[in-house]
Amino acid sequence: MKKFLVLFLTVILVLSFAASCKKKAKEVPPPPPPQAQEQPKVEKVEEPVLKEPVLTEEEIFMRKTLEEINQEKPLAMIHFDYDKYNIRPDAVPVLEANSSWLKKHPTVKILIEGHCDERGTEEYNLSLGEKRAKSTMEYLMSLGISADRIRIISYGKSQPLDPGHDETAWAKNRRAQFLIIEK
Amino acid sequence: MPREHLNYIRPLNPREIFFKDWESIQTRILVVGEISQSQNRIIFEVKVYDVKSERMILGKRYQAEPDVYRLVAHRVADELMKLYGEKPFFTSKIVFVSNRDGNDELYMMDYDGANQTRLTFNKWRDYMPAWSPDQRAIAFTSYRARNPDLYILYPYEGKLVPVSTRGTNFSGAFSPDGKKLAFCSTRDGNSEIYVANADGSNVRRITFNSAIDTAPSWSPTGREIAFTSDRTGTPQIYIMDAEGGNVRKVSFGGNYLDAPAWSPDGERIAFVSRVDNFFDLYILNLKTNKITKLTETKARNESPSWSPDGRHIIFSSNLSGSIQIYSVDYDASNLRCMTSQGENKLANWTN
Repeated sequence: MKKFLVLFLTVILVLSFAASCKKKAKEVPPPPPPQAQEQPKVEKVEEPVLKEPVLTEEEIFMRKTLEEINQEKPLAMIHFDYDKYNIRPDAVPVLEANSSWLKKHPTVKILIEGHCDERGTEEYNLSLGEKRAKSTMEYLMSLGISADRIRIISYGKSQPLDPGHDETAWAKNRRAQFLIIEK
Repeated sequence: MPREHLNYIRPLNPREIFFKDWESIQTRILVVGEISQSQNRIIFEVKVYDVKSERMILGKRYQAEPDVYRLVAHRVADELMKLYGEKPFFTSKIVFVSNRDGNDELYMMDYDGANQTRLTFNKWRDYMPAWSPDQRAIAFTSYRARNPDLYILYPYEGKLVPVSTRGTNFSGAFSPDGKKLAFCSTRDGNSEIYVANADGSNVRRITFNSAIDTAPSWSPTGREIAFTSDRTGTPQIYIMDAEGGNVRKVSFGGNYLDAPAWSPDGERIAFVSRVDNFFDLYILNLKTNKITKLTETKARNESPSWSPDGRHIIFSSNLSGSIQIYSVDYDASNLRCMTSQGENKLANWTN
C-alpha cells in the first residue's frame, strides 16, 4: 500500500513535471520571436565582439593614440590646500590608484603638471606649482614608480580649470594633473 | 609758474632773447624750440639756456620724416632729463605680456602706453619679460620647447638665445650695469636664484636653501639683490649681497609678501602683499624702515616695476574686471590705465 502510494505520487510528480515541462515548452516559443526580432542587432554587435577577444587589454591599449588615452583620463588629478604642496590624505587613494594603473602599463611615461589658484604672484605660483608637481612625483616614486617615467612641469596660475573667483573655483584650480606622454 | 607771469615777457624771438625778462619771473632754465620744414622733412632745433648767465647749455638739431615728430619731441625731452642727471624716460619702453592675439605673447609700448607693438609670435606662452638697461635685450620665460625655459630676446636684431632650460626657469632680471642676469630656476631640484653673464653664459647659483627663493631684483648699485623666500614658512622679502652672502629679512607685518622691485634711487622697495584675498602694492622705505600702502583697490595688484626716473610705478591689476596695466606715481596719485585690448600684465620698465 505504501509502495503503491509512493509510486502513485511519483507518477503524479512525473506527470506534473512533464506537464510543467510541456508548459515550459509551450512558453519557450514566445521568447524566440523577440530574440529573432533582436537578432539583426545581435549580429551587428557580434562582429566587433568577435574581434575584441582576440586582443589582450595591452593590445587594445597600444592601439589607442595618446590623445585617446588622455581623453579617457585614466589618471585622476589631485588637489592641494592654499599655499601648500603636501599630499593631502584625500589624494592618497587617488595616487595609489594611479600608481597601480602605471604598474599595469609599465611602458607609459607621464607628465605631472602643477597648477595654482589665482591668489598669488606669478613668480611665487610658478615655484609653488613646481613644488606640487614634485611632491606628487615623489609620492608616486614612494609607491614604486620609477623616476625616469615621470616628467614635471609648472604652469603656475596660468591655466585655471575653473575661471571663477571664489573658494570653489580656487580649490579646483590648486591641483596636480597627469598627462600621458609616452606609452 | 603762474600763466599770468608770461605777461611780463616780451615776445620770444630765438635770435634775440630778453634774458632779463625771464629772470624777472624767476626762470632759471629756458628751452627754446624751433620747427621748420624743408623737402618733406621736419627740422627741429632746440636750445637750452641758463637764464642768469645768458649762456646756451645745450643745443640739438634733429631732422626727421614728419611722422616721427613724436619721437623727436621725446628725444629732446630726454636730453633735458640727462641734463639733470636723470636717465632717459620719454624714449624708454615698457615690455609686457598680452593675450590680445590669442595666447600670452610679449609686447612693448612707450612710457605713456602709445605704440603698442607685438614682439613674439608663436602659439606657446611667452611671459615674465625684463629689459636690459640699454633696452637691447629682454630676458623672458617661454614654454615654446614644452618647458618653462629662460631666453634672451634681442628684439632689434631678431636673435633668441636660450639661457637655462632645465627645470622651471623664470624671473629674469638684468643688473643695472647690464653685465649680469639674475634669474630663478629649479635646475638643481629646488627654486633657487642664479646669476649668469648678460649673454647667458657662466651660470652660477647664489642661494642654497630648501625653501622657495625667487623674484630677484637688483639694487641700483648692483651690489645687492632683493628677493622673495618662504624660508620662514610664508613668502617674505629678503636682501642679500650680489654673490649670495649676508642674507637678511627686510619685510615685516605680513604673511604673503612677494615681487620686490628696488627703486632707481636705491632707497625704496616696492612689493606685493596679500591681505585676505586682496593683493596691494606697498613701498618699504629702507632708510626709515617704514611701509606705506600704494594701492587701495580691493583687487589683485601685482608685478610692480619702477620708471627709470623713479617717479612712477607700473603694475597689473584686475581693478576693472579684466587684468590691465596701470601706472601710478610713487606717492599714490595719478592712477591711470595704460592698456585695454585683451588682458595685459607683467609690465617691466627698465631702470
